[in-house]
Amino acid sequence: MVLILALPPVVLNGQQAQSASSQTSRYQAPVISDTGALKGTRQPIFFRHDIHAGQDQIPCMYCHYSAAVSSEPGIPSLQTCIGCHQVIGGSTPTHQAEIKKVRDAWRERKAPEWVRVHALPGFVRFPHMRHIKGLSTRLGVDANETCTTCHGDVKHTTQIEQVSTLRMGWCVRCHMKNEVTRDCSVCHY
Amino acid sequence: MTDSIDRRRFLKVLGVTGAGAAAVSACGIGPEPTERLIPYLVQPEDQIPGTATYYATTCRECAAGCGVRVRVREGRAVKLEGNPDSPINRGRLCARGQAAIQGLYNPDRVAHPMVRNASGTFEEIDWDGALQRVTAKVREAQGKGIVFLTGAEQSTFGDLVDEWMKQVGGRRLSYEAFGFEALRAGNRLAFGTATLPTYDFANAKYVLSFGADFLDTWLSPVEFQNGFSRAHAFDAGRPASMAKFVYVAPRLSLTGMNADEWIAAKPGTEGLLALAMAQVIMSEHLARVPADASRLVSVLAAHTPRAVAQMIGIDETTIARLGREFARSGGGLAVAGGMATQAANGAEVVAAVNILNYVVGSVGTLVKFGADLSVGATNTFADLTTLTSDMTDGRVALLFVHGTNPAHSLPGAFQQALAKVGYKVSFSSYLDETAASCDLILPDHHPLEQWGDSRPRAGVIGLQQPVVQPVFGTQPTGDVILKLSGKTGTFLDYLQAKWRARHAANFDQYWMDSLTKGGVYSDAPTRPVRLATTGATFSTAFAEVPSWGGDGDQTVVVFPHPALHDGRGANKPWLQELPDPVSKIAWHSWVEVHPDTAAKWGLATGDLLLLQSKFGGQKFPAWITRSVRPDVLAVPTGQGHSAYGRYAKDRSANAFELLGGQATVYGGRSFIVRTTASKTGEHQRRIATIEGNVRDLGMGTTEVLTLARAKALHPGDHPFHFEETPEYAKDAVEWWADRQRDKAEIGNYKGEQPRWGLAIDLSKCTGCSACVTACYAENNIATVGEELTERRREMAWLRLERYWRVDEHDNVQGAVSQPMLCQQCGNAPCEPVCPVYAAYHTPDGLNGQVYNRCVGTRYCSNNCPYKVRYFNWYNYAEKGGKYEAFPEPLSLLLNPDVTVREKGVMEKCTFCVQRIRGAQNQARLENRNVRDGDIVTACQQTCPSEAIVFGDLNDRNSRVFELAGNPRGYHVLAGLNTKPAITYLARVVAQDTASNG
Repeated sequence: MVLILALPPVVLNGQQAQSASSQTSRYQAPVISDTGALKGTRQPIFFRHDIHAGQDQIPCMYCHYSAAVSSEPGIPSLQTCIGCHQVIGGSTPTHQAEIKKVRDAWRERKAPEWVRVHALPGFVRFPHMRHIKGLSTRLGVDANETCTTCHGDVKHTTQIEQVSTLRMGWCVRCHMKNEVTRDCSVCHY
Repeated sequence: MTDSIDRRRFLKVLGVTGAGAAAVSACGIGPEPTERLIPYLVQPEDQIPGTATYYATTCRECAAGCGVRVRVREGRAVKLEGNPDSPINRGRLCARGQAAIQGLYNPDRVAHPMVRNASGTFEEIDWDGALQRVTAKVREAQGKGIVFLTGAEQSTFGDLVDEWMKQVGGRRLSYEAFGFEALRAGNRLAFGTATLPTYDFANAKYVLSFGADFLDTWLSPVEFQNGFSRAHAFDAGRPASMAKFVYVAPRLSLTGMNADEWIAAKPGTEGLLALAMAQVIMSEHLARVPADASRLVSVLAAHTPRAVAQMIGIDETTIARLGREFARSGGGLAVAGGMATQAANGAEVVAAVNILNYVVGSVGTLVKFGADLSVGATNTFADLTTLTSDMTDGRVALLFVHGTNPAHSLPGAFQQALAKVGYKVSFSSYLDETAASCDLILPDHHPLEQWGDSRPRAGVIGLQQPVVQPVFGTQPTGDVILKLSGKTGTFLDYLQAKWRARHAANFDQYWMDSLTKGGVYSDAPTRPVRLATTGATFSTAFAEVPSWGGDGDQTVVVFPHPALHDGRGANKPWLQELPDPVSKIAWHSWVEVHPDTAAKWGLATGDLLLLQSKFGGQKFPAWITRSVRPDVLAVPTGQGHSAYGRYAKDRSANAFELLGGQATVYGGRSFIVRTTASKTGEHQRRIATIEGNVRDLGMGTTEVLTLARAKALHPGDHPFHFEETPEYAKDAVEWWADRQRDKAEIGNYKGEQPRWGLAIDLSKCTGCSACVTACYAENNIATVGEELTERRREMAWLRLERYWRVDEHDNVQGAVSQPMLCQQCGNAPCEPVCPVYAAYHTPDGLNGQVYNRCVGTRYCSNNCPYKVRYFNWYNYAEKGGKYEAFPEPLSLLLNPDVTVREKGVMEKCTFCVQRIRGAQNQARLENRNVRDGDIVTACQQTCPSEAIVFGDLNDRNSRVFELAGNPRGYHVLAGLNTKPAITYLARVVAQDTASNG
């Protein structure tokens, strides 16, 4: 099946009511008609990072709230989702079906079981907040812009996949490039 | 030196060229099972995943009422730490407190109400059904005798029970197996008040204990240990000083081990020693004696040192010397209890010790009445024997039991009496012996799961709050009683109403402040007391050496085990695996036998001895030791449960079986009994012990200084000698040091790094072993069980080594306890021999152990001279495995910041590297450097004596740097050139000879 991607910003999902001139540079997430051909992990609810983070420009840490203060990035609670989706119902039948799943989960008090995409083995300690702090200092960008270093271009990704190998060699190479510690006991204890 | 092929290259080459070498697979991280991420529905405000939230509550493991902060990760309690705001424990916590979470997540907890069915077994019942039954039974039993039995419970919950009992026409009794009846009676005798004072050990200049084990089981151990450490540790100030500690008892307990001098008076005669000392003080005018003490002159005159010397077995010059030392110190504190108050004259012994304090003016300064310790307000043992006979006579139709296990500590009498009670309801969280005999069990929440408060002494109300959601389908007994008494609301409402009644103004703010601090703290009010006796009864009370109950030719002292106490700790594997501080025996009881006695009987350590009193008999394996009088045998309590879960059941023997059920004249229980002792011919092949050699053997592992010598030290002195490097090895050592200096210039090792180090002050360490349990809790250390402990497979990263101190006549005077853990050597013997670089030196001075690299050659452990490396011989984390250490739900207490090790991996102390990295991360987030005091290791944090200090040895302003340069400082096995990062500060004893075994 062919993936339809719109490159010039043509309004395809009818949701945005914008004036044409100022929106030509704003990213519009594509319509996906064949989810089976997408890369990445299938989730119980078809949550699209390209719509939320890309098109709607929600900062990463709006949902992944603890990434800058803790080793855990923080998966958003259902309350975060319902915050918007109690009002936003979706503009196409596909969108509406997925958002209905969110509302059903909230009503039935049954959280969706997301499939974990990025996982490190139990003998590795990865402190998210150190990396966000370090990268934002080094690259001179806001914390929310550092996520792409390891997670790829999430804002333009429909379904999240693991784009970096997350193997130790990959970690160590970046540590060497940035001249930070390579000591074993910093991550393995 | 030759550039010979090094070990790692050799193995690498071997692996590649070896015939039939397996294909080198490119897999790095193996396939992990798919994980699910389940988000919150509503994000809790105070919890950030990956970081800990701390809640202040009160420890209920004993009646001392220490404040704790519970570290909660993602809704699970993972560690208890002392609450620095509490004036009782000042941020410190003992081993029993640390083990409280093993009670919370215990796999043998009663999960839901149970009722005894027609065939006599327990079956599940729902809460409503259970409550209906109780209501019906209460109605039936009204007027026929309703009794509610609790433990020491001075609290709002206790008040609620009292109210309910009044409502139904019943009564409440509180029972502690080790009550302090002699203390209360003795205080009433001497000062007219049967209350318990508080003791200011911190300001004492001379501590004299008559059997009172204030460092392990007497009244408030953590508080007293902290105060004692301030007084007794060597203070190099001007003038340099330390308080001398003399211990008078027939055996050395944990407390006794720390004495500078051990006076092994005949059991039961300790009161005479106190009187004789008081006589010396008064007759030689050695202190400003209060005027009303003159009425004691006649009774004291009859108890001169000469008059009592023969009866107590101590010569008169020693008695006189003790009296003089006590008075001349200018701050003598004498305490009595434990083994010294077990005879019919127990109250008089306490009164005599009270008099000793009185004549030197310590009453009102170091001994302060008015604190009214709650453990002094329980019912006496005499009250309990009355209850037992009421029960036997059928005068109790309904019995409720909460927070106490009399069927274990009163086997026989109480157990039989229970059978005559109409209906028995237990609120126990565990199926202990008492609950197992009851008809209905309504399991209570664990103290960490429920609201409550506790009033350990006047001026302190510890608030208790739930720190986790209830683990099982239990209900707080407070709620249950409110329902039964027909009141509305939960126990929280009731508690808040009581608190509001005490402080109504701005209550919400007051409540929040109290929750944050863990309670309401103020100084105990002081009540002056006057001497209320002339000592008229003393002559009769001390006329003879006491004869003990029971018949038999051996005198057996039954003492409370420091960790298991009256048996309540036996269901917690951390406490079972904790080697007893004195005997170093784990998972089992023992009987202490002096070598002379053992020689007479032809007894070896491990031989099972049958002790038979007229009340009962039990078999105990012998432990031959010089820390007990030759004419006395000693056995600990705590084991020998017939129920109470997999860790406690059918293990060893119950010492309570040897004791009688008669109350003494002052209402207490005698824990010294006459038995026969006979060899059974059976032998326990190995006792589960971590004991190596009890003697230091001149190796310099423990160094002891006399007070005089310590006072004479100046900064820069090096009073200890260690083996110098022999001439033939000097070149090699220098070459090695050069190579290490070169290596220290490469990569991460270049530049300024911290060097983490530890300073352990042996003059503060008492050997209490709180640090050991704290380490287990913090680092996910597995408990291996009795069989594997016998085979020396225990995993404790930190062990306490106990070396006896002897005097010039080779008599034991005390012991030096030394915490032994990975020394994080600068020149580690374990690092060069690891073929896979799992043991290596980190840039910040730690000896790193990378678990995922380790292949289990065990060469590192072989090379370690301190023997502080531990190998996972079995898979202790395997669910359902034979040596499973964390059966559900015990796995909930695992610290998520520390890897759980698998079989085949070496582990050892890491200086709590997770805490070091955590502090470094926090500092980086806050754009600052790590400050001295930011990083506190688990052992340092819990130590009630504050003996351990952690810090950066490269920071000249740090505390650890200062202590490392202290002239008392030394390294263990320094002659091996390992360059450890741990500096021990020598023990100082207030004796003329610095004896070392």
